[in-house]
Amino acid sequence: MKKRYFIMTGLIMLAITALALSFQAVYASTPPDGEEAVGRTLAKQAVKNSQRWTTVDHAKIEALNQDFTSGEEITKACLSCHSEAATQFHKSIHWTWLASGDKSDMRYGKAGYSVNNFCISGNAMEDKSCLSCHPAWNKKGVQGEVNCLQCHNSSGFNFNEALGDIEAFSKDGDPDTKEMMKDLQNEVKEAVVKVTFPTRENCGDCHFTGGGGDGVKHGDLDTSLTKPNRMLDVHMGTDGKDFSCTRCHTTVDHNIAGRIYTNPAVATRKSLLEDDLAPKITCESCHSSEPHKNDSKMNDHTDVVSCQACHIPTYARVNPTKMWWDWSKAGKMKDGKPYVEKGPFGKPIYKSIKGEFKWEKNVVPEYFWSNGSQTSTTADDVIDPAQIVKVSHPVGDRTDPESRIFPFKIHRGKQPYDKVHKKLLAPLLSGEKGYWETLDMNAAIEHGNKAIGIPYSGEFDYVETTYAFPITHMVAPKENAVNCTQCHIRENSRLANITGFYMPGRDKSYLFDTIGWLSVLGALAGVLLHGMGGFFTRNGKEE
Amino acid sequence: MFKKSMITIMVLIFVLVSFSMAFASEGPEGNDRKGKYTYRKVYKACSETGGVESATPTISPADKTMGQWKEIFENKDLDEVGCKDNWAALPDEDILDIYSYFYKHASDSPTPAKCK
Repeated sequence: MKKRYFIMTGLIMLAITALALSFQAVYASTPPDGEEAVGRTLAKQAVKNSQRWTTVDHAKIEALNQDFTSGEEITKACLSCHSEAATQFHKSIHWTWLASGDKSDMRYGKAGYSVNNFCISGNAMEDKSCLSCHPAWNKKGVQGEVNCLQCHNSSGFNFNEALGDIEAFSKDGDPDTKEMMKDLQNEVKEAVVKVTFPTRENCGDCHFTGGGGDGVKHGDLDTSLTKPNRMLDVHMGTDGKDFSCTRCHTTVDHNIAGRIYTNPAVATRKSLLEDDLAPKITCESCHSSEPHKNDSKMNDHTDVVSCQACHIPTYARVNPTKMWWDWSKAGKMKDGKPYVEKGPFGKPIYKSIKGEFKWEKNVVPEYFWSNGSQTSTTADDVIDPAQIVKVSHPVGDRTDPESRIFPFKIHRGKQPYDKVHKKLLAPLLSGEKGYWETLDMNAAIEHGNKAIGIPYSGEFDYVETTYAFPITHMVAPKENAVNCTQCHIRENSRLANITGFYMPGRDKSYLFDTIGWLSVLGALAGVLLHGMGGFFTRNGKEE
Repeated sequence: MFKKSMITIMVLIFVLVSFSMAFASEGPEGNDRKGKYTYRKVYKACSETGGVESATPTISPADKTMGQWKEIFENKDLDEVGCKDNWAALPDEDILDIYSYFYKHASDSPTPAKCK
């Protein structure tokens, strides 16, 4: 009877202790209701004034009230007040298409030796198709005059088309066309004064459709971000904070914050409390480095896990993104003609002029250590064609204090390389001599490599490559963030390929597991013995 | 003599056929640039009288091939484009300009029309 009493008492004590410990653990990670996370409070404060204001009404500016006959005339009018704008812009990456990188003697950027596994190369601005995004009026590269309106006009008016027509009509003797020219000039005059800070449409015109179409390149940047809802992006959602791109991508002398391999965002990872003029390009800028509620276990992650890793559970959530591009399949014909074949999502899965594609939606990112920089394999770097070539890949490891586990889109594909020189090749695609016109890859490579000044042996084959894009837009509402068990789990952990350290829940370690269980059992035994001792002693006294 | 005549006739036929093929491949000879704005005016006028909802054209030359536009305009089968009354009021010269605009910027033309 006495023995049974002891066992029952012991079990009850054990249950009470376990309950108390569980309650304490839960309580420690969940602050009282109503308390707002520090990071949220700080961010709200940082963006309190949501309205831009200006001291200028451009409709009243005399220089803009004229019958323009060319884009260059419009720029001249802009510069009559903004005297240093073009000088500043000429030094920016948006104009030069040149960037610095890990090798000081290398010409990086679209106008340099950089390549990707989409349309491969800008061919030193020889590729006219790429130049449609270069902000010059004449589309002849850096020789032209800056087109200020490409980024600073909200009218949506097609100035290039209208000004081209005005020029043609001005040389025409037909009285009807003279009347049309006058109408057009009035339309230009009305549109040109709609001057603005860059809108999502301005930036998205190129950045949402990079690589030749909607969502082709980035995965977290496509036309769904023109008018997103909060579920797609809590910052940009028109039913949420309604941020434009420039709200975070702040600018100094027309240099825009956020460039990944020239100016890694983490180089300016600081709170606005530390520096009120710091670029607001990292999450920490507004949310601080301990953004979650006090005592939240999540705050212990921020020195190794990027905010994006948990808060962007998937990318391409509305529009699909291209995940595979195989140039080796290009050039096939149907009935002697180039053709297009469409697949899921209504997107092309084959184009004779481009090759084979694969598209995906709601894609779970791949995770790597990243300090914000990227390695870049250019057309002048020697490759090993027996391996998958990493054209672009994040730099970082767990011993680097600037590195965090970061989400990426990895775009895979096959592209041409020089079999003799062992270098990636830069075929010219658009224009009369381009592959899209001739379907002759060898000739296209000859023209393209000549444009960038890198010799071509005349022998090519295809090599598999990867290109990494950091995922940083499409931030989901907090309730949709990645939860603990999607990473801290034995099977199918999101971080399965982040190895070299012990991660609770995911990894098994005999030593750690034994120490852990001994600690738990020891603590339980201690509490139990202590409780029982007190219980029996007190009982004895009372009696 | 017979041989000479045959050669002359053959050369003549070749020149005529080549010329007509070249001419045919160029399509209509109107002012396509003028046609673009005439088309926009037609559409705008049509929207003002309730013929179409949008004041800017919703049908683009790139919606069809050169062959399809040729068939539509040469058969004067413009029902699909809408605004029948406005088309009827247009002089032939304006219709030719609009036809040239659609033909020269069709989806399979060297310069297909784009939104921008």
